[in-house]
Amino acid sequence: MNCERRSPVTLPGRPARSEKRDGWNVVLEYEGESGGPLLIDLSHGRKWDLQDVDIARFKPFGMSIPDDPGQSRLENGILINRMGRTQASIWRLSEQVPDDTADPAFTETTEGQLLLALAGPNIFSITEKLTSLEFDDSSKVTPFLLFGPFSHVPCQTVVLSRSKRDGVLLLACSRGYGRDMTHAILEAGREFRLKPGGENGFAAAMKEIAG
Amino acid sequence: MALLINCPVCGKRNGYEFRYGGEDKGPRPDDESLSQASWCDYVHNNNCVAGIQKEWWFHKDGCGAWFTIYRDTRTNLEADTSADTSIPEVK
Repeated sequence: MNCERRSPVTLPGRPARSEKRDGWNVVLEYEGESGGPLLIDLSHGRKWDLQDVDIARFKPFGMSIPDDPGQSRLENGILINRMGRTQASIWRLSEQVPDDTADPAFTETTEGQLLLALAGPNIFSITEKLTSLEFDDSSKVTPFLLFGPFSHVPCQTVVLSRSKRDGVLLLACSRGYGRDMTHAILEAGREFRLKPGGENGFAAAMKEIAG
Repeated sequence: MALLINCPVCGKRNGYEFRYGGEDKGPRPDDESLSQASWCDYVHNNNCVAGIQKEWWFHKDGCGAWFTIYRDTRTNLEADTSADTSIPEVK
């Protein structure tokens, strides 16, 4: 069955390369996106919530769930965030990984959530205009999860990498906030030359993280 | 006065991120010996202490956890956070 899926946001750039994938229109690259920080829409990446009394018994995609709430684990393009005693979120950031989520403890949340990435220089100068969450907490090891209001919207945020004011941050919230959230981030990032970025920009940032 | 609340998952956060869930009244009364008066008392009546009380909070803008803290209602400051700030056990 052909199914048309729509991202909750349309970033204000001119796509240079895009492709159709599983019903989503995925922008791979925008015109003139080199240099400066990027705001990247990853809402098409599949996402699940996992909930169970004994959550440690699950090994989604062959990975173990982090032990403590607030910890995240990134392997082979799969990010697992421990949210609480009984809950974890799983975000598939790479298309090369097979699905493995048939157990009823998994709930797919892909089409209900907005997932954005901020990557590049000065992104933490942008975020500090929008939230009081402490992304530069030196006691936390990347990747780590923080819950809290971002631009007054309850969000899950994951710091994938951090080097002073630069790095990669993921941000997820209900899709209904998408338009206002991207508007707020792009306005806050204007002085830092924040631009819409395609999925290839995020893949490049992930490669840097993997070393 | 700004209220800071120590969430067991997220740590110390601004009180505006939370929703108050009422006084902690202990476990639900046993059905067999329950009278209308005692049920009404359990559901509707509060102690409203001027001092330290145990109460429920919900981290609505954060992790979504329900937990209890002790708060001094005279100062609106959390008291004795190490004693019983906990998420209830899952059964």
